[in-house]
Amino acid sequence: MRRLLVVLALTAFVLAGFAPGAHASSAAAQTGEATPAAASDAASDALSAPPAASEPAVQEAAPEKPTAPEEKAEAGSEAEEDDFDYDMEDVPAAEQVTIADPWEPFNRAMFTFNDRLYFWVLKPVAEGYSTVVPEPARVSVGNFFSNLRAPIRFVNCVLQANLIGASTELFRFMLNSTIGLAGLFDPAGGEEIGLLRQDEDFGQTLGAYGLGQGFYIVWPFFGPSSPRDTVGMVGDFFSYPISYLDPWYAWTAVRGYQAINDTSLQIGDYEAIKDAALDPYISIRNAYIQYRQKKVEDRGATIPKSAPDVPGAGTPARGVGTEAAPQQ
Amino acid sequence: MTTKAMMKRWVVVWGVLVFVLGAAPVQAATPLETVRAEVNKVLEVLRNKSLKEEVKREKLRVIYNEMFDQEELSKWCLGRNWNKLSEAQRKEFLPLFQQVLEKTYGDRILAYSDEKIVFDKEVPITGNRVEVQTRAVTKSKEIPMHYRVFKNKSGAWRCYDIVVENVSLVMNYRSQFNEILAKNSPDELINILRKKVKDQKS
Repeated sequence: MRRLLVVLALTAFVLAGFAPGAHASSAAAQTGEATPAAASDAASDALSAPPAASEPAVQEAAPEKPTAPEEKAEAGSEAEEDDFDYDMEDVPAAEQVTIADPWEPFNRAMFTFNDRLYFWVLKPVAEGYSTVVPEPARVSVGNFFSNLRAPIRFVNCVLQANLIGASTELFRFMLNSTIGLAGLFDPAGGEEIGLLRQDEDFGQTLGAYGLGQGFYIVWPFFGPSSPRDTVGMVGDFFSYPISYLDPWYAWTAVRGYQAINDTSLQIGDYEAIKDAALDPYISIRNAYIQYRQKKVEDRGATIPKSAPDVPGAGTPARGVGTEAAPQQ
Repeated sequence: MTTKAMMKRWVVVWGVLVFVLGAAPVQAATPLETVRAEVNKVLEVLRNKSLKEEVKREKLRVIYNEMFDQEELSKWCLGRNWNKLSEAQRKEFLPLFQQVLEKTYGDRILAYSDEKIVFDKEVPITGNRVEVQTRAVTKSKEIPMHYRVFKNKSGAWRCYDIVVENVSLVMNYRSQFNEILAKNSPDELINILRKKVKDQKS
């Protein structure tokens, strides 16, 4: 209860401080649909950002018809010339989202720092760790920590008025803590029960309340973030039981171990993103904002295991691997 | 009509259908079927332990060219910058960009172990564009992978974007190309690509 109050107080504080600049994600979250308006809001946010906002972020802005006629007109005339317009039509708003990057020099330095941290420390340690600990055990360790994070997800479902999500998390926690052997296994998320994890965090809650990302920040150790998601991270800190371990270095050690375990299960992912990129910094910045925006918009999207298909949403068809699934 | 006669008729109809469709199998398939067929071809190559890596890469390249429309994908990645490239620059750009994609995603796909691919559903985007939603299921997690396809002039469904964990490849590259072309000429962009390809080979 106290924790909830803390989180609520933080929310109020943050909303009071940031509210004017925040609207991009709320429209999207409220309609549950990616609206062009949300994207153009985000884009105009980026455009109206302080002069310190870097050129690139503005370049990246993705204007829609209503708010940025001059940009659109330019694109239109080019399209006429070439009989070609691959602009923003029909691209989901979450993917068009952009972010101002006034701290780019600092961020790039932190990006390099985190990159080295990964290749010089985290990856070798995680690789060593994974040769000693077999994969199923590491998956279980991951489940264990994930189960301990249930309060974060529960609290944020509640804060987003997502009561089905909150009860899903509650039942998951009860089942996985008992028959899932203290969270080592995830029977609740299995095919039979189908209570899927609700990946909600405080950053998403703030997004759902209408708070925009603000601008891009890369923190040492924590990686890509923004003022909103930084506050989110702090908020989640208070609803994560591990944070209450005493003395402080106990939870630091646990968090460190958690990072190693998580890394061991996704070695190669970061490398692939980086290899594919012409400018890894920009690529990851963009991936981060696309990913977070979608998360905010997908509020409660993981609740029904087999959602009834939206009328006209295409042919439902399921099939695993090479098996031919029946088609009507 | 007797059952036998009916069956005979069906056989004839099927025969004709198979003949017609056999000549142009792609046209008849739905987006989901098209993606499923191509992904299954990829899985078949990956699961064939007797193939050498180089052979696998070659086979994957053939499938990629069948599945993706490199020009369409490149246009989406460049957005309005596509118009800044001359015809000659585009001709240079396409294969270079394809090589970058091939190398990285090839590496990634060849590291495939035992993921299962679940084909969920089709979601229409607009008239001739559809998103095919799939999931790669690994031991520790599920990765949503959505293929965006469009109907090309000959009526076949070809991919122009892939959205992995909600991150669109096209939009990700677009942010990078925008950034690069804000400061560099198209020729310089092509040089950056050329250098990238070279670095990847070494």
